[in-house]
Amino acid sequence: MALVGVVIELAVVVATMLLGATLVIVGPRQFVDALSEFRWRVRACTLPLAVLAVVLGLRWMTQDVVPRLSWRVLGHNVTPQIFSLEQTVFGTNPVAVLQSYQSPEITAVFAFIYLYGYAFVLIFPFIAYFALEKMDDFSTLVLAFTANYAIGLVCYVLFIAYGPRNLDPVLFEGLLYDAVPRAYYLTNTVNENTNVFPSLHTSLSMTVFFLAWHTREKYPLWVPVSGTLAVGVALSTMYLGIHWFTDVVAGTALAAVSVYIGRNYTIDGLLESARRFLATQAERLGQPGGK
Amino acid sequence: MSPSRRRLLAGVGAVTTSALAGCTERIWSFAEGSTTDRLSVLIKTPPSDDDPMASKIASQLAENLQTAGIDAVPEPTAKPELFRSTLLTHDFDIVVARHPGFDDPDGLRPLLHSQLSGERGWQNPFGFSERTVDDALEAQRDETGDTRRQTVADLAEYLVETAPYTAVAFPDHVSAAERSLGLSRPPRTPSEYAALYYIRPPDDRRGEPLRAGVFAEGMTDRLNPIAVDLEDVGVVLDLLYDPLVRVTEDGYVSWLADDVSWQETDGGSEAIVHLREGITWHDGTSLTASDVEFTARLLADTSLGEAESPVPAPRYRGRRTLIEDVSQTGPRTVRFSFDSPSEEVVRRTLTIPLLPEHVWEPQATVIDEHVTEALTWDNDEPVGSGLFAVTDSTSGERLELEAFEDHVLFEDGIPDRPDLLEGTPGFDGIEFRVTANPGSAVESLEEGELDFVAAWLPPSYLDVVEEAEGVSMLSVSTRSFYLIGFNARNEALSNYRFRRIVSRLVDREYVVSEFFDGHGSPARTPGELLGLSEGVDGSPEEFPGSQGDVDEAWVRSALEDAGFHYENGDLFV
Repeated sequence: MALVGVVIELAVVVATMLLGATLVIVGPRQFVDALSEFRWRVRACTLPLAVLAVVLGLRWMTQDVVPRLSWRVLGHNVTPQIFSLEQTVFGTNPVAVLQSYQSPEITAVFAFIYLYGYAFVLIFPFIAYFALEKMDDFSTLVLAFTANYAIGLVCYVLFIAYGPRNLDPVLFEGLLYDAVPRAYYLTNTVNENTNVFPSLHTSLSMTVFFLAWHTREKYPLWVPVSGTLAVGVALSTMYLGIHWFTDVVAGTALAAVSVYIGRNYTIDGLLESARRFLATQAERLGQPGGK
Repeated sequence: MSPSRRRLLAGVGAVTTSALAGCTERIWSFAEGSTTDRLSVLIKTPPSDDDPMASKIASQLAENLQTAGIDAVPEPTAKPELFRSTLLTHDFDIVVARHPGFDDPDGLRPLLHSQLSGERGWQNPFGFSERTVDDALEAQRDETGDTRRQTVADLAEYLVETAPYTAVAFPDHVSAAERSLGLSRPPRTPSEYAALYYIRPPDDRRGEPLRAGVFAEGMTDRLNPIAVDLEDVGVVLDLLYDPLVRVTEDGYVSWLADDVSWQETDGGSEAIVHLREGITWHDGTSLTASDVEFTARLLADTSLGEAESPVPAPRYRGRRTLIEDVSQTGPRTVRFSFDSPSEEVVRRTLTIPLLPEHVWEPQATVIDEHVTEALTWDNDEPVGSGLFAVTDSTSGERLELEAFEDHVLFEDGIPDRPDLLEGTPGFDGIEFRVTANPGSAVESLEEGELDFVAAWLPPSYLDVVEEAEGVSMLSVSTRSFYLIGFNARNEALSNYRFRRIVSRLVDREYVVSEFFDGHGSPARTPGELLGLSEGVDGSPEEFPGSQGDVDEAWVRSALEDAGFHYENGDLFV
């Protein structure tokens, strides 16, 4: 029940932001034109979307198994190492530095960016790239997101890490859940509190920003907007005590890798090379291969 | 085998080996060309999402250890894994966690006796073994009154110096309730739940279930009363499973037994227990003397003889080790025999909850090395004989209980009926609702979705409670205590001088005033430093520092006196 309430509120706020951004950045004419020929557009991006759905479905289905597998078999609790590393490099932890500028207003702004700004920055490019003349940028976006989630999932199995607020509530404060306790319903439904390395909030927002740079000629205004939000999301994860600086750096690196994959590969191409690889493997084993 | 297959297997092997290497937690050392090693310790503690108080104590300890030149970092570990690694696999350096507390000084025996250091659960997780301590623990078991008190007092003084673990403070159970319920303290026992159930329904809540907020998601799925990986479900299990005798505010009260007669035997003692007439399990099967005998057998060996060596249940272990034998002498009579002649010690065994033979006997199978089904199964449809029975549960959301109307204590006119069950119930059933975290529990309370919060609220939420409309704060002192436990199986921590110094590195007064917001009491006397909340006095201990920060000169010279040395400000063994 509480979850439903939080989701509805989120949906209303984010939908309003999306509407505004669509009118200003995409323009009503271009958006309506795109909608009128939605058939071929949808057909063109069905495959990448299906693959993204599979990866997300896999994350959803394994959410009970992954923590167990991670704690008991494959994972290593790297929280103390992350903390010690940052202690050695910076002396004072960057999260503590950010939190020293704390005020209720700043907390409210960062909590807004973390929850609403993040949802907006993730969804808007889907609308914007859908309204372009070709669907290439849309497919790139979907593949880059897929790469983020897939690599992120592997990292979460291998690395158990708690955020600053969970390691040491004396040095670091858990500002988000103090300010908006019910946000926990949302974040806890989507994620475990041990999944902090890398920061998927950072990597997905940065992915959007990097892609915005590549499409700067089509949507010049989207570059500063997504850039501000991406940096804002990265800072908010630290300010709110959810992620370490290390997670943000790793998240940005993951974004770069994902954008590289998204721009240089296509789902069709990947599936084709996988099919060919399997066929040659099958032949080598002396069994009847593919056609 | 084909080359690719061999490569695959080698890869799997390499991954497995590196994963295993990563799993072992130990004091790791950097031997940088010297013959000695810099001291590094990991402090295992729940993440602050699970227990902010433990997390803060660990933070202060880490800080003060760093002042002492020791590389110490907290290692947040999810509660179930924390219990696994400290209580089952003994894979830790230092642990900061909440101990449920002792109902009697004999509770120290399972915690520290060397004989139990190989067992699971709160059975000597510290790997402590000392003959002097074993002897004293055995002596007090057979003594009574002042003699016993003296033995325990001497033992306490000795243990403060050898420090297998140290208690930090006794937290109050702080919580919140709908103001119209008129509660001042959170209900913690079946009798308190019953009292609330019977006496206190506000008009608009009459005939509806009593709604209690909890945070432990797992409690809707796992209700195994003999496992130790559970937290915060104790009260639910107490509502579901009844013992022969209960301890209430009035002392020992006959519960499922209507008569207990004691006699001394040659060097030991004996209790003849008579069951009440017409008691049944929640599924309608009648509860007989055979179930009582069975419970004792199962707790001693959950494989019921199938395993090569017994696999005892980790819960109730201390009390179970007091029982020498249980035998059925009639359909409703059982004889308990004890090695100890001390009634004040052994009568606690009658407070162990009873388990139905017809449900648990099939679970007595060995499923892994020294692991039985009885210890691992979820028991998500529990059959007990308690005042309440489970009717429904929704995973991760709610657990619904209803009053067990056939319970013998609900009948009128039975002898020695506890007073609190007089009257007509105002509520209909109890519903435990899982909320995401303390903040959302308080919000639900304010919005009228809960009647009270059964779980512990961290003191930092008291401001929110005070501001919330129609909500009152509840608080009650408890026996449970935060402890710092040392794994004596590890090299540096096997040194009692080192443990003793580390045990002084938390400012207990500061912990209570700052981290508990004053809701609790610090451990000061030797008894309290062991977690015994009453009965053992002695000179209180002072923190060598102020405001939570240890005096650097003091701790460094203390460690040097203990045989350690410093290089470039870092402590070396």
